[in-house]
Amino acid sequence: MPETLMTCIQCPLSCRLVVDTGSGELVVSGNQCRKGEEYAHDEIINPTRSLTSTVATIFPDFPLLPVRTDGEVPKDKIFEIMDIINSILVEKRLRPGDVVLEKIPGTGTPLIATADMREL
Amino acid sequence: MEGGLQLVKKTLQSKGFPQVELSERRGAVVLEGEVQNWDDYLAAGYGAVGYGFRGVVNNITVSGLKNCFTESRPAVKDLSLDSSEFDVVIVGGGIIGCAIARELSRWDLKIALLEKEDDIAKHTSSRNNGMIHPAMAVKLGSKKHHYNLRGNRMYDQVAGELGFELEWPGSLALLTKSWQILLGPLAKRSARKKGLHGVKVFSRRKVKDLEPNIGDEQRGAFYMPESGIVAPYKVTVAYAENAIQNGARLFMNTMVQGFVMEGSRIAGVRTNRGIIQAGLVVNAAGIWSDRIAEMAGDRFFTIHPRKGVIAILDKKTRNSQKLILGRAQLNGRSHTKGGGLTPLIDGNILVGPTATETPDREDYSTSAKELQFLEENHLPLNKALKKDDFITYFAGTRACTFEEDFIVEASKYVENLVHAAGIQSPGLASAPAIAVDVTDIAVSILKKKADIKANPNFNPRRLEAPNPGKLGLEDRNRLIAANPSYGRIICRCEMVSEGEVVDAIHATLPAHSIDAIKRRARAGMGRCQGGFCTPAVLNIISREINSDITEVCKREPGSEMIVGRTKDKARAGYEN
Amino acid sequence: MKTDVMVIGAGPAGLSAALAANQGGAGVLLIERESRPGGILKQCIHDGFGIVRYNEKLSGPEYAFCDLEAVKSRNIEILKNTFVLDLKMKDSKFKLLLQNPDKGVFPVTATSLVAATGCRERTSRQVFIHGDRPAGIYSAGTAQNLINIHGYLPGRKCVVLGSGDIGMIMARRLTLEGAEVLGVYEIKSEVSGLTRNLVQCLEDFDIPLYLNSTVTKVHGARRVEGVTVAAVGPDYSPLFGTESYIPCDTLLLSVGLIPENDILEPLGLAMDTSTGGPIVDQQMMTTIPGLFSCGNATHVYDLVDHVSESGATAGSAAAGYCKKDCVQGEIEVKAGDNLLYAVPQRLVPGKDSVVYFRSARTMDNVLLQVEAGEKVLTNKKYIRLRPPEMERLVLEPLPAGLEKVVLSLKEAETDA
Repeated sequence: MPETLMTCIQCPLSCRLVVDTGSGELVVSGNQCRKGEEYAHDEIINPTRSLTSTVATIFPDFPLLPVRTDGEVPKDKIFEIMDIINSILVEKRLRPGDVVLEKIPGTGTPLIATADMREL
Repeated sequence: MEGGLQLVKKTLQSKGFPQVELSERRGAVVLEGEVQNWDDYLAAGYGAVGYGFRGVVNNITVSGLKNCFTESRPAVKDLSLDSSEFDVVIVGGGIIGCAIARELSRWDLKIALLEKEDDIAKHTSSRNNGMIHPAMAVKLGSKKHHYNLRGNRMYDQVAGELGFELEWPGSLALLTKSWQILLGPLAKRSARKKGLHGVKVFSRRKVKDLEPNIGDEQRGAFYMPESGIVAPYKVTVAYAENAIQNGARLFMNTMVQGFVMEGSRIAGVRTNRGIIQAGLVVNAAGIWSDRIAEMAGDRFFTIHPRKGVIAILDKKTRNSQKLILGRAQLNGRSHTKGGGLTPLIDGNILVGPTATETPDREDYSTSAKELQFLEENHLPLNKALKKDDFITYFAGTRACTFEEDFIVEASKYVENLVHAAGIQSPGLASAPAIAVDVTDIAVSILKKKADIKANPNFNPRRLEAPNPGKLGLEDRNRLIAANPSYGRIICRCEMVSEGEVVDAIHATLPAHSIDAIKRRARAGMGRCQGGFCTPAVLNIISREINSDITEVCKREPGSEMIVGRTKDKARAGYEN
Repeated sequence: MKTDVMVIGAGPAGLSAALAANQGGAGVLLIERESRPGGILKQCIHDGFGIVRYNEKLSGPEYAFCDLEAVKSRNIEILKNTFVLDLKMKDSKFKLLLQNPDKGVFPVTATSLVAATGCRERTSRQVFIHGDRPAGIYSAGTAQNLINIHGYLPGRKCVVLGSGDIGMIMARRLTLEGAEVLGVYEIKSEVSGLTRNLVQCLEDFDIPLYLNSTVTKVHGARRVEGVTVAAVGPDYSPLFGTESYIPCDTLLLSVGLIPENDILEPLGLAMDTSTGGPIVDQQMMTTIPGLFSCGNATHVYDLVDHVSESGATAGSAAAGYCKKDCVQGEIEVKAGDNLLYAVPQRLVPGKDSVVYFRSARTMDNVLLQVEAGEKVLTNKKYIRLRPPEMERLVLEPLPAGLEKVVLSLKEAETDA
């Protein structure tokens, strides 16, 4: 597939980008600024996303702790990471920024708490 | 009656139904054959009225109309009631059945009320406009008039005893033509004959003084002060709870499937929970009352459902109107009250109901067309209202007979069966009086066999949980101090506290589903329609009845709200 | 109890308002109806909050945490689980009757009141979906609460009606938590939410989006068994013959948000029918002196950063009001050609103002003009405007004596 269509989400302009990989090199068109070109490159070569979810806790008054990856993770690993997230059980009252998982296996990215479990 | 049948035959021929076969059974005229559509079915049924028969049994089939109708049936099947014995078995947990249970509980009797749904008042009794009609739109000499007038007069006392809210805002039957005001003296005379008090004729100016938002086309109105409002499902609950407190038993999810007959007596009531021995059976089965009569071999009438669609407006509209507003029905042949705008006891305004004949007795779906009708026909009565104010809408069906009158009588052929059937509008207003008469009939039948004594422990007052919203400041604070959950509001639209939800769950008549709690405590009844309080109510139910969250239902089993939990994998290890 | 400024609602708008009022030297009482402050952010666990304020993509709870810490550090009193039972005005003061489980019912008198009461979701009934009322119909926000706060899965096979942001975000959440999202149906010809959500919530997970289509009927008496969907014509009415049946167990609705101002309405303040919120000036003061509105109760914002900004504006003006340093805006702001709405609707002369507006339709190369009579006060060019994306504009102080300014969007002349 030499041509890929995508929508740039770097600003509200939402440019429709056409990425041509036919020549072996990435040629982006449809963008109105440099950000669009960078976005297209990232999306083709190594699309990443930050992932947010919740993890279970042992506290009935705070049964779920919201978490996010501290940085972006490869898009194609999201479901694998969800599997890991789904098996975590938090046994301490954490605060935003506290580390839930030092390094998500398969990535170098930490998983951090995003809510204050002491706020009931 | 041979002559009567001839006359019916003639009438039906002239209406274009020569194919309809007629016969007489137990004093009723029976219609058989096939017609093209439901309108024809109805026309034939109505055509057979008025020739001296007890009633019309319309067994005509409609070609193309398959029996694929909606009907909820209980999912349970067990023998929990098998061989149980009751002096009286009441079929149907609508307002009629529940009021009868309560009146019968004045007597020292073993009473069972059977309801096929998971809660009472699930059909017509919760799907109406909550109006206590003045006995004006009913024919003098009809049972409707008799019970409407008596029932209306009983409401103050019943409300006092059972502790439900009742107001008498009065109603205006609006007139769109100036000449209609000239009918005033006639209307007043008719009202006097029917036993009404205080009926007046108002000019446009007077109407405008009372209701400044009245539509421009209204030229005047007949004013009827004896028009009241209640929450009909709360009245039903109140009757049921007082009946239970006085010893009656209520069995939900219990559906009558037939009767065990011994000669001309009902010996047993066949249900999905076994056969119940019954001394006497009361048929208060509403839209299914003809089927119950048929099961006992005593069907002499036909229920043809008439659907009514209702919309509820946001509470903020309530101050725009004081009285019940409707259009005057000057055409005596109309079978509907016409609907209108009814202020609700809980502070909303109700629009409707419509009136459309339907073959499907439990079809409560609504359509865009029906909503449009409400918008175009009823909303303009009050200029302050707009379609944006609709917060919800629903439908109900009325249990109409072709005679368009109530049936309140002992069976003529089954010794121990009493019918309270064909109860449609004004059934709510009539219920207290119907219950008293059915009780008298039932007790006199039972007395033939045994000595029936009064219930020595009968207490007419219902014992009920506190309602913080209705308490004075000091009492409310005392209540919250004693139990802080009455101070924790969980339904923000209707200001319902956690304590009230817990009370509803553990009430005499327990509410274990989201909808049952909505009907009892009003949580989820408001403008957000449960958007905010549903999670809290789910958790409270699950905690209070100690059942898993995935088992909590919106209504009956099968309407579970939650299909599972996330993060099961993480918890599985911990909880084991 | 007495206070200078009473703030109703401890969501992002209320937290910022309380903080700003406190910084302005006023005594502040902040009340919150839920047990935890943070408002709807508590359940918005996705990221993207704080891009403007912190240049970071925080999750909702993190964003709320920052403001809450600031409020706590200044010892501002927060009453939780607290409801307003009654609100009246007497001698130009606000007389409130509050209730909570600890104190019961108690009165509070406030010199100034900031209503940061947020918004609610439009219901299935308000978009006139017909059929019976089975279990399995949820608004996207309710589903979000169930999944993110309680860990309850509301369904396994879901159809989403409406392409609002929460709807798309929930489509992704459900997918991540193991449910199947069969499609998002949008009655309009464009997506209602932000493009970022369209890309990262739907396209990333191959969830189909159907424009110009709607759900016309819900099937099932006890639990949802399926929905009928149909294409719609230009007037949004379903096109005959395009109906199809989709088996599913859940219908999620993301069909719009309504500012919640029900407790204020008895005071008789002027409302703007196009925003659904009160008419305010650039200090966020309503037509009732001393009564302020901010956040989604005023109009529904896209970005929480702007919600906080409006809260801070309201809070500091409310503190100023207590010191009699606040006049009411009297210059009318009119949303003219091609504008859906503009907030504030009134302006005080001689002060900066932040104006938010939405275009009525998608427009390219447009010129925004602010006019007073014949005179053009401001001109600003936009490459593209879409109704879902709200624009923020800082307006120079207006001269005194103006009666009305009109904002309008003009298609730029086709220049080469």
